[in-house]
Amino acid sequence: MKATAGSGFAARWAPTVLLGGILFYLVAVPLIVLLVSSVKPTGLPLDQGWTLSNYARTYSDPKFYELVWTTFRFAVGASLLALSIGVLMAWLVERTDLPAKGLVRVMVILPMATPPLLLAIGWIMLLSPRTGFINDVLVGTLGLEGAPFDIFSLSGMIFVEALSLVPSTFLILSPAFRNMDPNLEEAAVTSGAGFWLMLRRIVLPLLLPAILAAGAFLMIVGFVVFDIPGIIGMPVGIFVLASHIVYLAHDAAGGMSQYGLISAIAVFFLAILFLLAWTYQRATRQAGRFVTVTGKNFRPRPFQLKGWRWPAFGIVVVYFMLATVAPIGILTWASLMPFYASPSWEMLQNVTLANHEAFFSNRRAVQAAQNSVIIAVVASTLVALLSVLISWTVVRSKAAGKKFIDILSFMPIAIPGVMIGVALIYVYLVFSWTGIYGSVWIIVIAYLTTYISFGSRATHGVMTQLHPDLEDAARTSGAGWLRSMWRVIVPLTLPAILAVWIWVLAHCMRELSSALLLQGNNNRTVPVLLYNYWSGGQPNRAAAVGVWLVVAMLVVVSLWQFLVSRSRVGGAKG
Amino acid sequence: MLEINNLRMEYRSEHVSHLAVDDISLSVRPGEFFTLLGPSGCGKTTTLRSVAGLETPTGGAISINGEPVFSHDRALNVPTQKRDISMVFQSYAIWPHMSVFGNVAFPLQAAGMPSRQVRSKVDDVLSLVGLADYADRSATQLSGGQQQRVAVARAFVKEAAILLLDEPLSNLDAKLREQMRREMRHLQKRVGTTSIYVTHDQDEALSLSDRIAVIDGGNLIELGTPTELYLKPKSTFTASFIGQADLIECQVVGKAADGAKVRTPFGELIAGVHPHLAGSATHVLVRPECVELIDAATHDTNTFDGTITSVMFSGKSVEYHVRLANDFEITVQTPPIVLREAGASVRMHIPPERCVLLAGERRTGIEPRQTAVAA
Repeated sequence: MKATAGSGFAARWAPTVLLGGILFYLVAVPLIVLLVSSVKPTGLPLDQGWTLSNYARTYSDPKFYELVWTTFRFAVGASLLALSIGVLMAWLVERTDLPAKGLVRVMVILPMATPPLLLAIGWIMLLSPRTGFINDVLVGTLGLEGAPFDIFSLSGMIFVEALSLVPSTFLILSPAFRNMDPNLEEAAVTSGAGFWLMLRRIVLPLLLPAILAAGAFLMIVGFVVFDIPGIIGMPVGIFVLASHIVYLAHDAAGGMSQYGLISAIAVFFLAILFLLAWTYQRATRQAGRFVTVTGKNFRPRPFQLKGWRWPAFGIVVVYFMLATVAPIGILTWASLMPFYASPSWEMLQNVTLANHEAFFSNRRAVQAAQNSVIIAVVASTLVALLSVLISWTVVRSKAAGKKFIDILSFMPIAIPGVMIGVALIYVYLVFSWTGIYGSVWIIVIAYLTTYISFGSRATHGVMTQLHPDLEDAARTSGAGWLRSMWRVIVPLTLPAILAVWIWVLAHCMRELSSALLLQGNNNRTVPVLLYNYWSGGQPNRAAAVGVWLVVAMLVVVSLWQFLVSRSRVGGAKG
Repeated sequence: MLEINNLRMEYRSEHVSHLAVDDISLSVRPGEFFTLLGPSGCGKTTTLRSVAGLETPTGGAISINGEPVFSHDRALNVPTQKRDISMVFQSYAIWPHMSVFGNVAFPLQAAGMPSRQVRSKVDDVLSLVGLADYADRSATQLSGGQQQRVAVARAFVKEAAILLLDEPLSNLDAKLREQMRREMRHLQKRVGTTSIYVTHDQDEALSLSDRIAVIDGGNLIELGTPTELYLKPKSTFTASFIGQADLIECQVVGKAADGAKVRTPFGELIAGVHPHLAGSATHVLVRPECVELIDAATHDTNTFDGTITSVMFSGKSVEYHVRLANDFEITVQTPPIVLREAGASVRMHIPPERCVLLAGERRTGIEPRQTAVAA
């Protein structure tokens, strides 16, 4: 009897060692480097000497606690707002007789195609107290003394951030709303409970883990996000964690990057973030436990909205206007203007395509587009491949130490993109001979680390759905590991894996924070170019770049949703 | 107790309408264990859910305890929580976020009962179903049978006028199902609640029910006690759906003292049940277990000679296929006392009082009817 894969000692350890090695390099090395640099006088990990002065300076500074407080308020505010809208949307779409649900779904998910930095820029153009279009209109028509809205505030940042988080919230929550066994609600009614009692005692507690998971996820994003607070808050001195790190790395007084301080701050936030990640993990598992297997499945009776059907539809339309139509509209307008001016009939005669022509002819712009495509394609492909292997190992195989793989692959969800950026700077400044520093590959590595947690969670779901008998049937039919992977597992999970791939592709295309920190002369991405135009005082050029970025994102997001809808009918059980 | 009149349920979507219930009327007596039996998709669950108020029928009327709860013509529809019913679901619908106690206490709390009373009542019901020691367990830690008991306890505790049970045993394995069947019958007799039970399992229906309504294609086919339906069915559908049946084409040729004389492909026999059908009878029903294999001719009539063509031994019985005159094959089931082999010659006797005359074509179609609606 020949030893087969999965039985021998070597075979049991091979996947762990291989994947563990890759993940250790991607996840643990940057974290260790970050920790070491926090106790180095210069902040560079291989330099001489040890010190605690970075910590002393950071934690004795009242400004630090102000930073923590601002970040906290920003994260909580944006999370709560996004959660309220997301819960409402998920309930409306999954459990009520809302009209035109297909269209509603599109209107809730499509805003994902708008990169957050563009949302921020769009809303600055609409609500800036000096030049904002909506403010202008309101002042003009109502005869107000000053602008009624000021986007350059914490509430402005929270508002825009919440708009950008709604699609993800909706996508996390809607399966929970959809999969809840309608018999559980019916059992409450046949037990004599009215609507409100049922909602309070049955529906909400059952959905609580899913809502908690979404909340923890949103809090994590709120803590790590750079683009919206960076664009809206930084110019007026409202700093959150991520924008403060970028400030320390780039623009700090004296021009010297304060790496030691960054690391000391990072350690504090990492502790909070890992706590949140742990909550998220637990809540997700709890939510899974509540999914009950049912025999026959009656279609859930949709809640009758009666007179509220069209008003509810109106709420969705308003969200879509705020999250996509208005900001993209003003961006498109700005991209057609030679200089910045609010929309008006008089300005119509100045419409020009010069900014768009510049985007397609400028050498730097073309290079940025190429970089973005290369980085996005390579990073998303690697993430998809690695995720499948990780999930197969964690969910399916009997590999030793697969728990370790699971944890390592989940950790990056709690590491802000800016921290990964900073850590990679340390690593590849040290290994400068590799030539990775300043190239597109350093950004590819950063994205691999950033998105592996999402990727592997998504493929975990796919692998869990796939009945183990299908793989065993391939084995008993005489297929080896490779053949059963290739002929059975991969084809059955392909649509779902492609959906993961596209999701990562879309996020790589819009990512700003690590790309911004890692930018050199030759590896700028489209969002970085856009950011540089914007912060360099060329809003119209930035707008033109933005319009094309949205077009590209629209294509990718539509493709993604198409694949997601296909993958539901695929070979998965149930 | 429960009156259902001309119930009708038509589901309409954009292009297709589906008639789940065509026209069902029935009335259930107080304290009765009443079963709705039929193949899947026949409309039995829809009927039950209409009684609960979980579906809104498109026609007819329902009243519980003499009080109307639904009437299409009067646009009356009492909400589920205000109806005097309780229900056990096929999936049990045990709330996973509550303990066993929490699940069973819920109906009492919903009714606003003070918590001290709730405690003692729940304890009573839990010990009734044998779960007294499990009150504080999380509902998700229970086995299938225990979850089923929690679901039953939760339904019983409400002390509603009518207990609705939607295939409550179908998710259990065979052994446990039989045990729970016995427990359930015992419990129902003891508590005396009027129960409406939905199942597609004829054994369950026969052993549990006081009366059974056989439903097919959204219509009530036949209503009767288990013995009536099994031994003296009036329709070919009932005859073939409940139990094993040989439906033999026949023609009535005369009268006999204990029934009608009929001609079958393998000879003449006397059928003792429904002889009044006379000329309109098209089939005679013979159940395999009602045929006796005998060694000597001890009867004057209904005795036939044949050859065993195949034997199937299943433990508690042996099934023989016996070829009679004109190569007609009939199935015979006997207890495993005398074992016979294929090829052996046998003589059989079919008691006239177990030969049932039936009128009409044998129905085979049990598909739900779908009709296209003009857009």
